[in-house]
Amino acid sequence: MAVLSVPLASLPLLSLLIGLPLVGAVLLGLLPARQARSFALGVGLVEAVLACGVVWGINPEQAGFQWLEQGRWIPTLHLQYLLGVDGLSALFLPLSALLFVGLVLASTGVQRLPRLYFALLLALEGITIGIFSALDLLLFFLFWELTLIPLYFLVSLWGIGPQRRFAATQYTLWMLGGGVLLLFGFLLVATGHGDWPAATDGFRAPAALLFDLPTLLATPLPPERQWPVFLLLLMGFAVKTPVVPLHIWLPTVAMEGPVVVVAMMTGLKLGAYGLIRFALPLAPQVAQEWYGVLVGLGVVGIFYGGLLALVQSNLRRLLAFASISHVGFVLLGLSTFTVQGVQGALLQLLNFTLIASGLFLLAGFIRQRTDSTELVHLGGLVHSMPKASRFFLFFGLAGMGMPLTAGFPAEQLILLGSLSAYKGAALAAIGGQILGAGYFFHYYRRAFLGPARHRLVVQAVDLLPREWAIMVLLAIPVLVVGIYPGWILHFTQLPVVRWVAQFPGVAP
Amino acid sequence: MVDASWIGLVPLLPALSAGWIGIALLGGWQQGERGERVTARVALWGVGLALGLLLLLDLDALLLARTPGSIALFPWMDTVGYRVMVSFILDPLGLALSTLAALLCWLTVRFAVCYLHREAAFQRFFASLSLFASGLLLFLLAGNAVLAFVGWELMGLTSYLLIGYANERSQATGNATRVLLTNRIGDAGFLAGILFSYVWLGGGEWGDIAGGFALLSSLQLGILAGGFVLAALVKSAQFPFAAWVGRALEGPTPSSAAFYGALMIHAGVFLLLRLQDLIAQSPFLMVVLCLLGLLTVLYGLLVGLVQTDVKSGLIAAGQTQVGWMFLACGLGWFDWAAWHLAAHAGWRLYQVLNAPSYMHLLPGPTRPVWVALHRRQGLYAAAIARFWLDPLTDVLITRPTQNLARDLQSLDDNLVNRLLGNGAMERILFGQLHASRPTEKPGHRQVQGVGLFGALLEALANRLQWLEQLVLRMGGEGSVRSVAQLGDYLLRIDRLFSEPRYLVLMILITFVVAL
Repeated sequence: MAVLSVPLASLPLLSLLIGLPLVGAVLLGLLPARQARSFALGVGLVEAVLACGVVWGINPEQAGFQWLEQGRWIPTLHLQYLLGVDGLSALFLPLSALLFVGLVLASTGVQRLPRLYFALLLALEGITIGIFSALDLLLFFLFWELTLIPLYFLVSLWGIGPQRRFAATQYTLWMLGGGVLLLFGFLLVATGHGDWPAATDGFRAPAALLFDLPTLLATPLPPERQWPVFLLLLMGFAVKTPVVPLHIWLPTVAMEGPVVVVAMMTGLKLGAYGLIRFALPLAPQVAQEWYGVLVGLGVVGIFYGGLLALVQSNLRRLLAFASISHVGFVLLGLSTFTVQGVQGALLQLLNFTLIASGLFLLAGFIRQRTDSTELVHLGGLVHSMPKASRFFLFFGLAGMGMPLTAGFPAEQLILLGSLSAYKGAALAAIGGQILGAGYFFHYYRRAFLGPARHRLVVQAVDLLPREWAIMVLLAIPVLVVGIYPGWILHFTQLPVVRWVAQFPGVAP
Repeated sequence: MVDASWIGLVPLLPALSAGWIGIALLGGWQQGERGERVTARVALWGVGLALGLLLLLDLDALLLARTPGSIALFPWMDTVGYRVMVSFILDPLGLALSTLAALLCWLTVRFAVCYLHREAAFQRFFASLSLFASGLLLFLLAGNAVLAFVGWELMGLTSYLLIGYANERSQATGNATRVLLTNRIGDAGFLAGILFSYVWLGGGEWGDIAGGFALLSSLQLGILAGGFVLAALVKSAQFPFAAWVGRALEGPTPSSAAFYGALMIHAGVFLLLRLQDLIAQSPFLMVVLCLLGLLTVLYGLLVGLVQTDVKSGLIAAGQTQVGWMFLACGLGWFDWAAWHLAAHAGWRLYQVLNAPSYMHLLPGPTRPVWVALHRRQGLYAAAIARFWLDPLTDVLITRPTQNLARDLQSLDDNLVNRLLGNGAMERILFGQLHASRPTEKPGHRQVQGVGLFGALLEALANRLQWLEQLVLRMGGEGSVRSVAQLGDYLLRIDRLFSEPRYLVLMILITFVVAL
């Protein structure tokens, strides 16, 4: 369908990143089932190396998108095959690739249709990379909706709960509902440029449909047309993020879905990425005028998620609510429209990808051994699984912004940005930090410390080398960024400065 | 003689030994009694080298008769509006107290090598203690508030780890959690102080903050200094946050001596000393410090008198002394507080380390409780109950939070989930829909709505069906048949497209609604 006209000067690395896992998924069908996992792992590793190459090749000083690939797709509709990344999105690529390596490693004992399972996982990886690199609105939308197919089957076929099909159906419906809103938002943006003759920065908006993000960003809609766009996109992305009160699918999926897949779903907060990339910059004026909505959603999320996490007795549900609370911090950071707040939100998104997935995978490892993540079946895990407990503590501390983990600079920047913009919300968020420590340590104490009472807990084997490797893989970036945040701050600084500069007014 | 930039090594060395012990423990090649010797040596050398370096710097300062002052090494975090240097202050206060702290840490480590011999978690203890030494030295030497906060948090974390040292005992772990959460309140104050100083003063260097009062209104000054004062009050276990220290003695004696007897308990006082220029500008905070210091003195005195075990008694006595220091700070006698701190830290460490041997050291039975206190039953009961500070916290903070969380949970379950179609009923209905093939029974509800949204749609769909049947009834037999055929055809396509019928139905409804 896509007729590529790739500039010869550079390798089509992004297409390669998207295509490789998809081709790998197809090739998996030809392999014997026993080799499915190692093949998927190999593809994942190559993908991770290539994704690092993308980041390596990016010059953060340079404005605009890099690694651009442009091809004609449906010319009559002005649809293009347009890929590219900048400092905001580039870091998500190696992170996703790393995460998928961990997920493939963690997926052992897939007895049912292993080839299909790994094929779907690889397909999901390719599509996810597509989401992070698509610059054409409808191409992005295509990738966005395509994630539903592998996710639906992964949850409904390999889920661990008795109501997995309900969870999968519910998830799909919610996402489709959100998708419809997104589509309409995008169409409004695309058509809104028809009679908009402004030619700022030398750009001339064509008189017809326009889906190409760089041009759209350079020629914003007139303010009176922005609000429906903002509303539709905000709601569309809020469903996926998830934002209270559209969060109900997440705890359900967390309980019913396969742990490995849920680790990815809670880890990669695609909805928040969508807000940064599309919802806010496409309606800059309105987004800024309606900052109260974002602040409100952020603060409510922090407390709603935190308080509910406090009373959960099941680790997987707890992590789902913790994830909602984390998203609240990210939203708060974004709502400030200050460099610090947005940079913090971006770092926090990257950080939570590792932390949330790490914690969820640990929950999976525990569940494999004790058949439960319910509190009544746990207690005293530290005696039989000291390594797992230490990693759990480490990721938990990183989640609450302990110094020397990546959570610290991220949290400092978010709070600093919000404090300079809205004092009350920032102080509330600082209070939310106490809550964050509360739910984590409360659970940690009851599940991990104390005497081991249950046979399965006493007999539990500590992390196997493979599982240990996954945890180290996820923990190292958290620790390295925490000890030396200089590089990542430098890398994201100018892109964030440019991002903030799109918003005309001074933040209130 | 010594380049002052070597100071960076002082907090780093104990951290490195903590890291080495931790990695060796994780890797499993330093376990049990065989590993003890190496572990102890690494911990001792880590703190010992830091102490040696500090002594060299002290000597240098003495010979030159001046301290090196502020040293900025390199930027740690640097972005728009937020720049944190790796900087240190080597003024007389910092240099003297950090030398003392390093010495006391080294003595504690040396003492613990014998004390913890053949303990199962020997390595874990020394990793935590070394990390604590690193955090403490970083806090004392840091040139800016952010770096000091890093040290502060490391102290809090290691305190948690060591209170929960006996992690099979529920009481120990419960107390550890409680202490940590109480300390989080102080951390929040510290954090607020740092952030406000970045927002209002544009930087977090101690010098900027302490000297920044000229740029602030009195309200801003109060808020900024108030955050730090809150942090100091919590960390030094002053009234009304005094109760946590009573729970903190679950760890091995050397850690109790270092944390709550000699070193960490004074961190709050040191914070006040660092910011004395700032705090001295706010008369209100000075009065608060005086009052709370005085209350703590009374609290520690009365609680200490009724304790029946030596460790608790000593720690309560220590709290009293720290209360005096807060009082001194409140009166503006900062130098006096600094001297008091140094003297008290050394003496109390000696006492608490000796505490397990008191049975042997004391010639006779201990004195009974003070008679005057004995006569006043109410006061006695209050002192034993530590003035009910803990139950009060439960009633005022912990329980309301938990109740709120429970209410929210039932709101989430009964309202939000129900409205959005995720209740328990709906799940069961969904299961039934799955189990049974679509039936053609007349009168069977064709559409089953879920949640508020679903219920509205259901009503709409039923209306439409009624309308449709009306149309069908009006039309002739032939049209009915053709429509029925069409329906069959559509149904087949429908089945073809989807296994769960419900899915497509809902997708269509969603699209319709959205359009």
